[in-house]
Amino acid sequence: MLRLILRRLWMAIPTLFAIIIISFLLMRFAPGGPFDGERPLSPETKAALESSYGLDKPIWEQIMLYVGRIVQGDFGPSLIYRDFTVNELIAQGLPISLLIGGLALVLASVIGISGGLIAASKAGKAIDEILMLLATLLTALPTFVTGPLLVLIFAFTLGWFPVSGMDEGISWLVLPVIALSLPIAGAIMKLVRAGLAVQLSQDHLRSAKARGLSPVNRLFRHALRPALVPAASYLGPAAAGLLTGAVVIETIFGLPGLGRYFVQGALNRDYPLVLGVVTLYAGLIIAFNLLADIIYGWLDPRMRDS
Amino acid sequence: MMRISIILVAIMAALAVFLPFLLPWDYAQIDWDGVNLDMTSTEAWQRGHYLGSDDIGRDRLARILAGTRITMSVALAAASVAMIIGIAWGVIAGWVGGRTEDIMMRIVDALYALPFMFIVIVLMVVFGRSILLVFIGIGAVEWLTMARVVRGEVKAIKSRPFILAAKASGASSISIILRHILPNIMGVAIAYLMLTVPQVVMVESFLSFLGLGVQEPMTSLGILVNEGAAQMEINPAALLLPGGVLILLIISLTIAGERLRDRINAGAIKNPNAGAS
Repeated sequence: MLRLILRRLWMAIPTLFAIIIISFLLMRFAPGGPFDGERPLSPETKAALESSYGLDKPIWEQIMLYVGRIVQGDFGPSLIYRDFTVNELIAQGLPISLLIGGLALVLASVIGISGGLIAASKAGKAIDEILMLLATLLTALPTFVTGPLLVLIFAFTLGWFPVSGMDEGISWLVLPVIALSLPIAGAIMKLVRAGLAVQLSQDHLRSAKARGLSPVNRLFRHALRPALVPAASYLGPAAAGLLTGAVVIETIFGLPGLGRYFVQGALNRDYPLVLGVVTLYAGLIIAFNLLADIIYGWLDPRMRDS
Repeated sequence: MMRISIILVAIMAALAVFLPFLLPWDYAQIDWDGVNLDMTSTEAWQRGHYLGSDDIGRDRLARILAGTRITMSVALAAASVAMIIGIAWGVIAGWVGGRTEDIMMRIVDALYALPFMFIVIVLMVVFGRSILLVFIGIGAVEWLTMARVVRGEVKAIKSRPFILAAKASGASSISIILRHILPNIMGVAIAYLMLTVPQVVMVESFLSFLGLGVQEPMTSLGILVNEGAAQMEINPAALLLPGGVLILLIISLTIAGERLRDRINAGAIKNPNAGAS
């Protein structure tokens, strides 16, 4: 198991480097720069600005410098948030994004696993059909539509939750977390339902039924654990979905998370900020894939050796 | 279910293309005397704004139709780009085999691990926000599943007797691929194209929602949802109408694609000659 983890970590390094270098080159060769404002700067000012940010050096030197600094954990200064470094912005945004994303993942797992269990235990019945249709609907609803819809219903019309921003209590978390979790809940529900269907048709579960074990016992003690394997391997894509979803959710709800800075950086060509966030995102996705492998090994002992 | 959703998509496409000819207002035209009209007011109907007008006096119905048209054509074009790249990649990997195949499929695996949406956003930032690049960018990252599926199909077909017969009779690789392999993988490829389209619709509207996709004066469902969300407190219809159209479009496309794929997979299992992957 440890060897598997170490090998995965080793393989993640070239992927991370490739992402850093590709996005760096793309950003640098883009037409238009961060200092092209409404009012053209004098050539001297522009040259001074560029040299102070190291943009006048040859491109390979910039890459080496940049990669070197990233390895040391320094993403450099932000170009649009003039008084902040990218590290400071990430330090501000990451906890908020992690809080929302983590809660959304927990909520999605609870909804998805219980929905999948109910559907599989009533396989072929009306409730199964309804739940599966619901799962398809949930995966098909884009967060940027469900988010504003939830605000319209529960914040403007019913007034139960704040419209946007953060405050002292926890009520501001409710709507963003729900909106973020819905598509992932739908996907998990489908996977758990399919996994359980495979498990329930196995010989050992038929003999468990013949021995008179209760349906609850059969589902929870014998079928659920191996049936969660496909859902566990979905953790990597789910992390990517959460991160992209968070970009929209933070924009809609006006939360100062990582996704918000990413969009602002992208709209304003703030190279260091965008590169820093993309590198962090790639790292997070790789970490989640690793976590998926570990959970995989825990759920299915046969996977530990391979 | 599949038939209903395909009919729904067809109706939406037909309305988006033909209805604008019958409307008094163009999607970018500004009606200075009819700003922010509610769809239920008589004034809106008298002026020909059947779903009301937005905050700078543009006809809401015309804008939704134009947005649907652009969203659908971007999705179709991007999905086609994805299909062409995916088929080419998958056919070459599956046909050549050996080390080349290993390397090509390892590249696909590595790309799967990348944060897609962020690469698309970086591409949009880099190459400017033109509609052409929106779909090239999306198409360029949505081809991975297609490449995997096509490779599996090609490998299954490659060992079948008629390919051997074609080889024995001296046909070149290119003509075998064009005449024997491609026609046989088209069914599966089209099923996955159908599944790619709703994903692309989502990506495009997502980008447009953030202001990184389609640009003014053109519009797309993502932009309309964004505009609607900004004024939903005073005018819920501004959000509900384009949002509803977008949800209906994505759900119909998803259901149609899933059912078509299941049908082709089921057929492949029943019929051993269909080249199951």
